[in-house]
Amino acid sequence: MSSAMASTSANLEPLFSFLSTSYATLEQTFNRIPGSAVIARYVKSSHQNDPGRTLLELFLAAFAIWTLLQSRTRADKDDRHFIKFTEKEIDELVNEWTPEPLAEPLSPEEQKELESVPVIVGAQGPRPKLNTGKTVLNFTGTNFTGLAGNEGIKEKAIETLRKYGLGSCGPPGFYGTVDVHVQLEHDIADFLGTEDAILYAQGYSTISSVIPAFAKRGDIIVADRGVNFAIQKGIQISRSTVRWFDHNDLKSLEDVLQGIAKERKKKKAPLTKMFIVTEGIFEKDGVMTDLPKLIELKYKYKYRLILDESISFGSVGRTGRGLTELFNVPASQVDMLVGSVANGLASCGGFCAGSKYVVYHQRINSSAFVFSASMPPLLSVSASEGVNILRNTPSILSTLQENIRTVRGILDKLDCITIPSHPASAMIHIYIRTPTPTLQIPTGSGKPSNPTSIHPRDPPTFDIETEERLLQDVVDEALAQGVLITRARRLRGQEMVEARPSIRLAVSAAFSKKECEKAANVVKAALVKVLGKRR
Amino acid sequence: MSTAASYLSAVKAADARARARGETPVATPALSFSSSVTTSSEDTILDDGEVVSSDALSYPTIPPTSEQVFSTVHTEFGHCANAEYRYTSQHPAGTPVKPHIEQDPPYYVLFTTYVSYIILILFGHVRDFTRKYFNPGEFKHLIPHDGYAPITSDFDSFYTRRLKARIDDCFSYPVTGVAGRTIVLNERKSKDYNRTFYSTGRKVRALNISSYNYLGFAQARGGCADAVEESIRRYGVSACGTRLEGGSLDLHAQAEALVARFIGQEDALICSMGFATNSTIIPALVGKGCLVVSDELNHASIRFGVRLSGANVRMFKHNDMNALEDLLKEAISQGQPKTHRPWKKILIIVEGLFSMEGTMTNLPVLLELKKKYKFYLFIDEAHSVGALGPHGRGVADYFGVDPRSIDILMGTFTKSFGAAGGYISGSKAVVDRIRVRSHSHAYAEAMTPPVLTQIIASMASIMGVAPALPTHGSTGTITKGRIVEQESPEPYPGRAPASILPSWMDLPPAMREGTEGRDRLRRLAFNSRYLSRALEKLGFIVYGHDDSPIVPLLIFNPGKMALFHRLMLQSNTPIVIVVVAYPATPLVTSRVRFCVSAAHTKADIDVVLKACDWIGDVLDLKHAPGERWSLEKITSNAVELVRMESQKHA
Ligand SMILES: Cc1ncc(COP(=O)(O)O)c(C=O)c1O
Repeated sequence: MSSAMASTSANLEPLFSFLSTSYATLEQTFNRIPGSAVIARYVKSSHQNDPGRTLLELFLAAFAIWTLLQSRTRADKDDRHFIKFTEKEIDELVNEWTPEPLAEPLSPEEQKELESVPVIVGAQGPRPKLNTGKTVLNFTGTNFTGLAGNEGIKEKAIETLRKYGLGSCGPPGFYGTVDVHVQLEHDIADFLGTEDAILYAQGYSTISSVIPAFAKRGDIIVADRGVNFAIQKGIQISRSTVRWFDHNDLKSLEDVLQGIAKERKKKKAPLTKMFIVTEGIFEKDGVMTDLPKLIELKYKYKYRLILDESISFGSVGRTGRGLTELFNVPASQVDMLVGSVANGLASCGGFCAGSKYVVYHQRINSSAFVFSASMPPLLSVSASEGVNILRNTPSILSTLQENIRTVRGILDKLDCITIPSHPASAMIHIYIRTPTPTLQIPTGSGKPSNPTSIHPRDPPTFDIETEERLLQDVVDEALAQGVLITRARRLRGQEMVEARPSIRLAVSAAFSKKECEKAANVVKAALVKVLGKRR
Repeated sequence: MSTAASYLSAVKAADARARARGETPVATPALSFSSSVTTSSEDTILDDGEVVSSDALSYPTIPPTSEQVFSTVHTEFGHCANAEYRYTSQHPAGTPVKPHIEQDPPYYVLFTTYVSYIILILFGHVRDFTRKYFNPGEFKHLIPHDGYAPITSDFDSFYTRRLKARIDDCFSYPVTGVAGRTIVLNERKSKDYNRTFYSTGRKVRALNISSYNYLGFAQARGGCADAVEESIRRYGVSACGTRLEGGSLDLHAQAEALVARFIGQEDALICSMGFATNSTIIPALVGKGCLVVSDELNHASIRFGVRLSGANVRMFKHNDMNALEDLLKEAISQGQPKTHRPWKKILIIVEGLFSMEGTMTNLPVLLELKKKYKFYLFIDEAHSVGALGPHGRGVADYFGVDPRSIDILMGTFTKSFGAAGGYISGSKAVVDRIRVRSHSHAYAEAMTPPVLTQIIASMASIMGVAPALPTHGSTGTITKGRIVEQESPEPYPGRAPASILPSWMDLPPAMREGTEGRDRLRRLAFNSRYLSRALEKLGFIVYGHDDSPIVPLLIFNPGKMALFHRLMLQSNTPIVIVVVAYPATPLVTSRVRFCVSAAHTKADIDVVLKACDWIGDVLDLKHAPGERWSLEKITSNAVELVRMESQKHA
């Protein structure tokens, strides 16, 4: 009824000035009443849905604006701890102060670590050339579907380049919403079967921005102890109350959910938003979540589910739709389904799929979306083309799964290692089997872990330094035989729980069975050679 | 104004003359050559039949002469051969930086602005109230239901629903094509007061003074696009993987070496998203026990990163060096809160050019303070790199100081370079430390080859390449993840050594020689100064530095924002603008933010000025004190206006 007001407000200038005088007097009188804010709040809570409440809220808002403007530059000195110094003392203190260096130079080990990073010369793909001149079988790239280097995608990308240029030169709010972005969002939503989807310019930043867009201070997040770094950072930013459940243990999840419900009941806590945050296939070790059970729990305890499918989207399911396809669960039952366009569709960026409202909310509130330029149009079109290809070529995923089976068939038999990853995971992690079976998380000791701490009750023990060194030897050995693999690189000291050192194989549909066999055998031989020496 | 027909015939005649003389036309400094675009002029006036476009956007007002052969597409990068319309972006040596004074509007403007907000809030509440009773379905997602708390409560979302929604037609306009000098809008309308939009199917070309396309590198034709095409053929579109786990390409090493040269720092590192450059790298530099001193108007990505780092944060008043010094004195003398232990380190984070204000950081004073207070300095050059300085190297170049006196120079490629992502540069020790500690290096996808190529090509064309590109095979080798340069480099701000460019990259001569890049810089400098000063002479309140390509024009009243936007879009030559309001700015200072580009011609700026002049009268926006010029006087004395000594901020 009054929406036309915005467009005519300028023409209403005379009216404004008339209204202004009366409003100003009202406002000022109200401000002068001591404790007016308290009274207002009291009235507000006791007269819910009362017309009077609405009017008072208005004045409150005006009051808030007023005070905000008054106190724009107030120094926030903590009076209790503030020590008064004279100018001279301050100068001395300033002179005396010596800061630590901005960054310590790298230690020789760190230097070596950095130098061991392989560099590919020319195109990325299953058989790239390294800067050493060697052509290798590449089991590091997250090119699960083998779309990297696809000629059809290249042609589309070039076509798009010639129509759109490269950069979008603006955030989505300011002329950075290009039709091809809208198209890709639509394609992804349609592919997964959700109402809508939203695109981010980087896969990593997607989830760490999605979580704080929804979860705020006072909300509750229940998360897996093994979540990846991006999720940890998202949780940190959100400032929500966090409870942790044992890694990939839905029984533990249920216990935690029950505990929270009980506690909330006891405290008569007000209704807040509650989220379960976990991954489809875990980036850390490749284990897979039991999605149907997870969905059941979420409905039972009335949580919203934020599921990170950065690894599983594009690598499991009949056509690569991820866990929801694999378990035949409607994707619409996952409230926020986050995936990586970079991994799954061999382009760049990430997405979050969900209901219309969930997506709309992010368009206004998610900082990595709002405050960042949208992705280059040609990469968006490449991804759309990727969706098309996946949709129409189920053989890609069956080949991928076949390749994974081939590799696992050879490595699973080896007794100097353990493989925590799910048999369908295209990301295969390899742990060194320690002589003493400390790796297995001891169960049956009875007591559950403390849900307020990310650390499990009986953390597995391992010697990071030795294991990393051995694994690097395996990597080097495999490389000498023409197979490029990598250790899972970790930010040691920054992760909330240290991940166990592992070798990370990324299987791709672009390999032939022969190549998979060859690579697996090379890795096997390298493992046997390096780990055999150890004993 | 010339018509399309007369323009085309003039162009044809010019072409014929050139061909009759049997010479391939030479590049004037204004021009860019490209291997794929022939020099025949029809190609340079690309227009889709289906796009509604006015002649002023498709064809230059002045037909070219026989000497001038433009190879850029006029709608992407305007044709402007007049060497008068050039300027150098540089701080006059030896003069102090004048403090920026923000002009206040007359009192009645402030007053009506407040009242407008009060009315908007009042109406919003009345509507909420009635809707709750008469149409509860609409509120379902805002109130608890089935035991779930709402994602946003009706109270939290009040501002978006009742205030922002009124002007939602100004935001997220769907577009298509190149975000260059012009942009094509996929026209949309709303039948339900902005709740939903539907597409009319019409495509409308509009003058684009909104994109962060400072140097005009958003182009689908030209040397950069050609290089990108070649890179897609060679590399595909993805780097597949993180930098530390097999996603590092030779292109990364080359781009990083080039960025380090360009910025004038020892080393540099690249991240696939500008936002993430701040949000994932600041935590690698500071942590518990450190203090971050941050300008109150710093970008969201900086706040995100600082919050993740766990360091203490103090804010100081925007660009106020006295406030900063006071704060430093207090912080250093008091030490850490409660314990009073000395800070481990203090990092000051400012932006080179502030994206909402157009203000420039006071670098000379900051460096003075740095000597005394021993803090580390981090400058986010997202908007200033490429856009400022005689060589386009950013604020350090603009003020003529050694870039290495600044610890960390960060920037993004989304703006001046028409690409995506960001970089961090500094000493080798610092950058290496970031390589092993930053979140994105270990866990985020690496930058893609087409983007890397755009960065390399555009950056090299600003720098110029020395010497001529060698023949294939002799480029620098990559050892230990780094490129080893063969020749000793030219001192800063020198040209790009050819050995660090990909051997297959065949840049056209105007780009290799740096003439095209220089011309872009000089066009941008002229356009920026011209728009900002002209708007002031028209009587508008304009914020920011004269040399800033970001020109905010103050509107104040919230209702006028949408009107300004709509009127600009409906003017003879449609113009798209960006309006920003609370919470991106303080409540009262709603504004239009122009982003000038090298792709604009003087005629384009005139078009903007004309539209503003008219709208400014209609909406009563001309409140600035000082001398006023008429529109005619301004447009005919543009060069004098630009070259005038600075009067503002005196
Ligand atoms: C100061 C500043 N830093 C960082 C960014 C983020 O850059 P990008 O858009 O490339 O993510 C922006 C973009 O708006 C910015 O203005």
